[in-house]
Order: sequence, then C-alpha cells, then structure tokens
Amino acid sequence: MSRTEPQTEDFRRRPPEPLSPRTLNLPAAEEVALSNGLRVLLVESRRLPLVSFRLAFPTGDAHDPADRPGLTDLLTGMLNEGTETRTSRQIADEVARIGATLTAGASADFTTVAATALSGFTDQILELMADIALRPSFPEDELELTKQNTLQNLIAQRGQPSFLANERVSKVIFGEHPYSVVAPTPESIEAATREELIDFHRAAFIPNNAVLVAGGDFTRDEMLRRLEELFGAWRTGEPVRRESPAPPELMGRTLHLVDRPGSAQSNIVIANRGIVRTDPDYFPALVMHTILGGNASSRLFMNLREEKGYTYGAYTNLDARREAGSFRATAEVRTPVTGDSLREFFGEFERIRGELVAEKELADAKSYLSGVFPIRLETLDGFIDQLVQIRMHALPDDYLHTYRERVQSVTREEVRGVAQKLVTPGQAAVVIVGDASAVRAQAESFAESVELYDSSGRRKNQGDEKGMERQTTAAQRADAGADSLLGVWNLDVQTPFGQHPATLTLQRDADGTATGDVTSRLGRVELSGVSLSAEGFEASAAHNFQGREYTARVSGRLEGEQLAGTIKVNLPIAPPLKFTGTRQQ
Amino acid sequence: MTPTFTPPHVPVEQFRLENGLRVVMSPDTSVPVVSVAVYYDVGSRNEREGRTGFAHLFEHMMFQGSENVPKAGHFQFIFNNGGTMNGTTSSERTNYYETLPSHQLPLALWLESDRMRSLKVTQENLDNQRNAVQEEKRLNYDNRPYSNAFLHLNELVFRNPRNAHSTIGSMEDLDEATIEDVQEFFRVYYAPNNAVLAIAGDFDPAEARALVEKYFGSIPAQPAPPPVDVSEPEEVAARFENYPDRFAQLPALMMGWKVPPRRSTDFYAVSLAAELLLEGESSRLYQRLVKGDESVVAIQGGVGERRGPSSLYLFAIPKPGRTTDEIRRTISEEIARLAREGPSPEEMEKLRNGLINDAVRGRQSSMYRAQMLAEYALYDGDPTLFNTEPERYLAVTAEEIRRAAARYLDTDNCSLIEVVPAPEDAEAAPAPAAAEGEPAEPGGPPPQVPPKPPAQPPPATKEPDTPVARTHDTSTEQPARPADAAQIK
Repeated sequence: MSRTEPQTEDFRRRPPEPLSPRTLNLPAAEEVALSNGLRVLLVESRRLPLVSFRLAFPTGDAHDPADRPGLTDLLTGMLNEGTETRTSRQIADEVARIGATLTAGASADFTTVAATALSGFTDQILELMADIALRPSFPEDELELTKQNTLQNLIAQRGQPSFLANERVSKVIFGEHPYSVVAPTPESIEAATREELIDFHRAAFIPNNAVLVAGGDFTRDEMLRRLEELFGAWRTGEPVRRESPAPPELMGRTLHLVDRPGSAQSNIVIANRGIVRTDPDYFPALVMHTILGGNASSRLFMNLREEKGYTYGAYTNLDARREAGSFRATAEVRTPVTGDSLREFFGEFERIRGELVAEKELADAKSYLSGVFPIRLETLDGFIDQLVQIRMHALPDDYLHTYRERVQSVTREEVRGVAQKLVTPGQAAVVIVGDASAVRAQAESFAESVELYDSSGRRKNQGDEKGMERQTTAAQRADAGADSLLGVWNLDVQTPFGQHPATLTLQRDADGTATGDVTSRLGRVELSGVSLSAEGFEASAAHNFQGREYTARVSGRLEGEQLAGTIKVNLPIAPPLKFTGTRQQ
Repeated sequence: MTPTFTPPHVPVEQFRLENGLRVVMSPDTSVPVVSVAVYYDVGSRNEREGRTGFAHLFEHMMFQGSENVPKAGHFQFIFNNGGTMNGTTSSERTNYYETLPSHQLPLALWLESDRMRSLKVTQENLDNQRNAVQEEKRLNYDNRPYSNAFLHLNELVFRNPRNAHSTIGSMEDLDEATIEDVQEFFRVYYAPNNAVLAIAGDFDPAEARALVEKYFGSIPAQPAPPPVDVSEPEEVAARFENYPDRFAQLPALMMGWKVPPRRSTDFYAVSLAAELLLEGESSRLYQRLVKGDESVVAIQGGVGERRGPSSLYLFAIPKPGRTTDEIRRTISEEIARLAREGPSPEEMEKLRNGLINDAVRGRQSSMYRAQMLAEYALYDGDPTLFNTEPERYLAVTAEEIRRAAARYLDTDNCSLIEVVPAPEDAEAAPAPAAAEGEPAEPGGPPPQVPPKPPAQPPPATKEPDTPVARTHDTSTEQPARPADAAQIK
C-alpha cells in the first residue's frame, strides 16, 4: 500500500548518516558548606526565570524502626500539614498563591523535600521550604486525619495486581531486611503519635548528613546569604543508624502464587537477588539489563510481545539500592499463556547466561544508554535530581561527566559474567498474581515448590503444605479438647461493605488463662474473658475507634476444620457480623 | 509582588509542503537533543460503529514496518541510536514522537516519512498487534479497579457515539478489524495533508527544512478525509448508576459534566473554575471534603479537552460511614457557592501565578514543545498559540469564572456513577449495571486517576529506586493523553 510507484529514491533504502554531533555542556555545580556544615550545591542557570530546590537526607523508608513500618512516609506526609507558625491550610494557600510546588517524599534509601517556583518568588518558596522542613508541628487533628486516610489507602491498593506482585516479591527477595516492606501495616499507622513524629523528625532531619541543592535563575552570593539565614542555625545531630539483617540466599526456585480470583491477566515477576548501587558491576549490569529487557527493543519485548503477542510489554528491572538490590523480569500476560510465557522467560535467561551477546547488540545498548542520558538533563528538575541521587548514593563527583565513558567500556564478557550473577534461574522467586485456579497447573512445573497466598497477602491453605505449629505451651494442663482451638486463625468477616480479612489468635498464658486478640485493618483488639470449650469459644472485646469506645461480643464454634461465628458490636443499629475462619498455615 | 512578565516566547517557524504537510520548527540550543512529533488528524472520534478502538489499533500497526523499515525496526532504530519514542491515540488525534541526540534528526525524519508513505501490513502482524492491544486493555482497564467505570462515565456524559465510546474500544470490535480496514484507514487518514510535523530542540532550521523536503516532499496528497460530526445536545444522561467493580476494594463516586469546546470563550473560564474546585490541596473541594468535612479520602478531577463538546469529571473515594449522596450534595453546594460569589482576589492571584509557572516550566522540554506546537497547528492552524494561549487564560475575569460555573456546573445536568465493590460472587467480569439506583454505601481511597494535562514539573521526589516502576521510555504506545478519558494509567 505504498503511496508512490516502486521506489526510485535510493536514499530511502538505508538509514541516513547522522549530522555532526553537538556538545553537551553540563551546568557546573559548586559545592559550599554553610556554617553548621550543611552541604549546598549551587547550579546557576539563566535559561528561564525558574528556581528549583531539593533538601535531601540519606535516611528513608528502610530506616523506619523495625516495628514501625511507614513512619518515614507518615513523617514526610505530615511536613506540609502544619508548622510552628502556619496551619496546613496556610501552607497550601501560600504555595498555590505564588504558583509554586512544595512536596516531600521518601524512597527506601532517602528522603527529599522539593520545591519549585518562578524565580520572582525565590524568597517566598525558600522560606516555606525551610519552615516545613525544620519546624513542622505535626498537629494532632491533622495527624489523625492523615492516619485515617492512610488506613483507607492501604485497603485500596490491594485492588491493584501490581501492588500485590511487588509486595510478594519484596518479601521473598529481602526477607528480614527492611526493603521487604512495601507498605505500612495498619497497626503501625494506628500506633503513631505526635511525640513520636517530633522525635523521629529531630533525629532524621539533621544538617550534617543532608544536602541542599539550589538550581536556576539566581545570583550565587545572594542565594548563599539567604540559605545561611534560613538553614545556618539548624542544629546538627547524631545520624540515625539501623543495622539490618542481610537478605536471604534464595534456595532453589519457588513459585509464589497470589490468588486473585477473576483476574483478567497473570502478572508475572521473576526475581533474583541483585547488586547495590555502588557495586563495581553496576555498569555491566546496566548494559545487560538494557539488552535483556530495558526497553521496547530488548530481547524479552521482542520475543513475548512482538513475536508471540502474549503481553503489552515484557521488561527487566535493575533495582540497585544502597544496601541490597533485586533483578526482576516482568510481564502481564493473558491467563491461558502463563505457562508459555514462563517458558520464554527462562529460555531468554539461559541464552543471556550462556552465550556472548552479539557485538551489534552490545553497541546498540551502549548507544541507547549514552544517548538517552542527556534527555534526562533537559529540565532543571531533571538535572538537580541527578545531583541528589549522586549524593545520596555516594557516587563519585564526576559521575555525570564519566557516565558515558563507563557505559562504553563494558565488554561482552562482562555482560555474560554479570548475567550469570544476576540472572539465576536456579535461585529465583517466580511470583504470579492471577487466578490461581487457572494458573497453577500451567506454572507449577516451572518451580520446585509452590506457595499460595490470598490478596490480603496471607498464606492460603493447601493440601501439600505443612500444618501450622500449634501453640501448646500450657496445653497439657487444660482439657485437651478445649485446646484444639488454640492457635492462629485467618478470618473472613462479612460486613455490609464486603468481606474483610482479620486474624484471630487464641492462646494460654503461663498460668493457663485463655487469652486472645483479633487483628484487622481497624487495628488489634484484645479479647477478655475468653472461655474455651471443645466446640467453640466466647469472649468480650473493647476497641477505641476514631475517638469512641466500642464493646463487642465475639463467639465462634468449630465446624469440621473451619471456625464459624459472629462479632456483635453493642450498638442498637449494628447487625451481627458473621465470620468464617481457617487455620493459618 | 506578582511578576509582571509574561512567559517568554519560543521561536516558531512554519511552512507547508506542496503535498499539504504542515511543518513547525522551534530551535533552542540549551541541550543537544531534538524532538520530532507527527500528529495525524484522526482519533477515536473518527471511528465508525463496530470498529471502536480501531484508531488505536492502527497506531500499533504504524510500528510494524514500512517499505524500508522492518517490523519493529522503528523502535530499534530509535533506541539503538540513543533516543526515546512513543505513540498515543486520543479522541482527537494520533501522535508519534521521538527525542534523539540532535545529530540524529535525519534518522527521525527518515523513519517518520517511510511509514507515512509506505506502511506495510500483513495479517500476521495485525493478529499479533491485536493481541498486544487486548493485553493493553486488560492491563490498563479490565484488570484494574475503577478504570472501566471511568470509561462508562463518558458514555453517560456524551450522547453522540463519536464522543461517547472509549479510545481503547471493545474486545469484540478489535476482533472484527480486518486487514482491509487497516489499508483503508491508512489511505484516508495517514496522508501528509492530514498531518503536522513539528521539530523542537537543538538543530539548524535551514538544514532541517532541507531534510524535511527531501524525506516528505514526494509523498502524494490524498483527498481530504470525510468530516466528522461531534455535535452534542447540551444535556447529559442526568442519572445515577451503580457500577459493580470486581477489583475495587472501596466504593467510589464519579461525576461528569458537559462543557464547551476547547478554545471557545466559555471554555477558558470553565476550566479555571474547575481548577479552583479541584486542583491541588488549596482547592475548594479538597479543603471542604478532605479537610473540613473529612468525608472523602481523596478527590481528583479535571477537564477533558476536545475540539467539540468537552467534559469535566471528578472522582472521589468516600470515607467509611459517609454516603455518596451526602458528598454529592456538598459538591453541589460548593459549586453553587462559586457560581454565586465567584473567585476571591487571592484565588485570582493563584490562578495567575500558576498559569505563568506552568507556561514557563513547559518550555524546558523539547518533547513538550514539539507536541504542543503540533497540536495547535493541527487543531487551530496556528502553532504560535503555544506562546499566546497563556495570555488568553490570564485575561479571564473573576466574573467570567463565576458565570461559567453558574451556567455549566451549577446544574443538575450531570452524570453520576457509584462504583460498588462486587467481589468474588459476581462470577463474570463486571458488566455495567443498566439499573438506575440510589447510591449505596461508604468506603475509602483510590489509586491513580487521570493526570492533569498541562506542563507540571515531574514530581520531584519520585522514588528513584522504586522497583517495578518503569521509566516512560520503556513503555510503548500508551493510550490517549489529554482529551481522552482513556488516561487512567
């Protein structure tokens, strides 16, 4: 369906020769220290009347106290909710009034406060930025609201298959290391207090390990004077340290199947342990990742999408952080080709581990990485975000200047070597979020063992798994039949708003008294007056929810292997909530 | 101390080839990269019944090879020479774009011209891309909470099927598409006289013009495509619908209004009214519902810009124990207040500074400049609107905003969907319930909702090491941008 007659224009037959290259002039960054030691990077650029700022700290979600996941996110979320002299509303209005942006957020390894404005508003935005970063007040009512909304968000994100996949992969790959945590627990959010945030802020937000980046249209001396006024008196502190357990070695290849009944696709993630950001293999890994799955001309994409049509996209992800990393291959495929897709993935893994990549593939990957590099530096924010990353990961100062050389120096042998280290199908976690009833039979032959989970993230019952360990500390002293209920039960509670998961724990303390609790998205509720028999149990519960005390009666009876019961809240209008339970495996 | 400057203008050079191709160039030597955007005047608005989703499926075919470029060669030539690229389809247009090191400009023009003059299609490639598109639909709509409900909102707001159906289309219609459809679509719509080519970044205009003439000059013009009628009655389907959603964990409320076409006099005012109601934490609805009443977990919304009748939509997640009915009443109250009292002087200052800030930041990226220049050239015949449109917005008065809110928003002429979580038992995929009904229960917060179209800077604190997150250059052919509802990504 050519629009023209058979081609007479020879120049169209081959790709054209490039023009002569133009040079990339990176803006210079000058490093200065304020009187309290705060390091400042200044990047003057007169291109447009804009300014951008970053204040970054090398502590992030991974520095949350072990029992308090989500604290850093709560802290950053609360920074613009009130300061010693401004309410949440005032901050929002003042930032909007000058057409600026002011945000805060954290990744696993670091925390950033970011501000942008027209350069005519430099003074105003800097003052606001210093105020939320140095003098947040964490007002009680705003904290309560943020907690409530966060709890709801925790529920909502379980509707997204990508969240479920990431949650499972992170647990398997990072084990006890804090990188395994991808979302806070409801309990941790509930427990947060204003005092705790004040302390946590004081400990984490210290000038001696922070970096402040100022970029855009300003004069150096004036900017330094202003920064000294705003940040120079900020007191230094002792850096927060958290010793984290190393991620586990993966043993063999395990399938982790997250059951999402009715799922329209299978979200596949095949994960291996990776490298840290400063690993000497980082650049070979980057090139290998580009060849295998870094973009839409990589091997996985060409195979699973362009050849097979199994998916909208298949990629790899090189996730290299400060203390550990992962290497993941992903695709969302239609359910009936889940097994076929796994076969293609593992075939590609063997190929990149076994054969040297072609010279042309290597050259293409290098050309891609070198070429897209300046595109990231086109905007002021893109450029100063690179500087933040360099500082936060302790990369060399000349990183941006040597990036392209370091890409160019990677060899085919290094690519194969790093593939053998990062792409390890023999020690891999295969995570699939999908309809287990349709996926399991296709996928289980690709793994040595199978673990089944539900979409609340809990291990599901299944025949070939070992039973749970009974908690029988004081069991001998009690009636054997009555104690058959002891242990941990996964409950599904029917509410007017749908089915909600909960966990029931029943146990005996040292002197033989039966105790227990129910944990759900509303938090942990202690049971009192627990009476156990061979057929069932009864107990009372009291719970403070959104400032009000509620009491309830909880009862259950054993029906075969299952527990069935009700929770009756003592309110005139509340219907009894039915639940069923199975033993946690 | 409002800055008195207006956003700096970018240079705009334009010319037209003999075959009707409109060309816009905007040089800037800041960074040695160049962006090329080709906009075709065809989108889902041009689709006939029984072929919904076709414009987007066709977009995929444009990556399947042409006379001198093999299947998937387009991706590979761009990536392997250090560039990024993509294509998207909306109700209004289909665009293709790439950013490359500036010395690779000839490559971009060679690739774009080859597929404009000599697309090659085979049954095998059509079947393969049909599969990819169906997975795209599952990924972005069928397997996600709220997304299909959001597409359904458009079907209530718009009466004209040209406007009402989604860009992604239906699985059945995608199955029906034939190779003859592809060939006919190419002949009618993918002609130089139905397209705009824009180049922005670090290049020499004389050199670029010579290259454009060399590569595009000999592509023959075609008869103009048939006109499309997107006219609409003023009314929308003013009713409630319950939408059972198998994957939603929490209920949600969605509302939609019909507003005038982009660039019409009232459009500027109504979109600023929408901004005051919905944009950011200082907005009226955020402050009233999330903060004051504490009745919703989150609220978001915006304007879906089209050349014909357009829409304003919002999306809110009620808190447990709060009814959608109560929330809807509060939203109506806030709209009525804006329609009665108009914006405050502080709000006018906020709009002004926000507009200038967006306009200036939007000038940084060569890709953004190329896309906007192409869009204005295609829709309005005048790419210099990229420089002057901010002034149109800045000229809108408080009284005009008040009147627009009164006329278009403070009305019962709006549609409402309540998304009802419908877990396990609803066996089949959730079909839109035809039944009208009262809104049901309460719930909590959402995932991503349509992004705001204009030039906001990227979120500065975006996780640099988020695992599974993809940089935008690794995804291809996303569905529509601005004007289309198909943006829940």
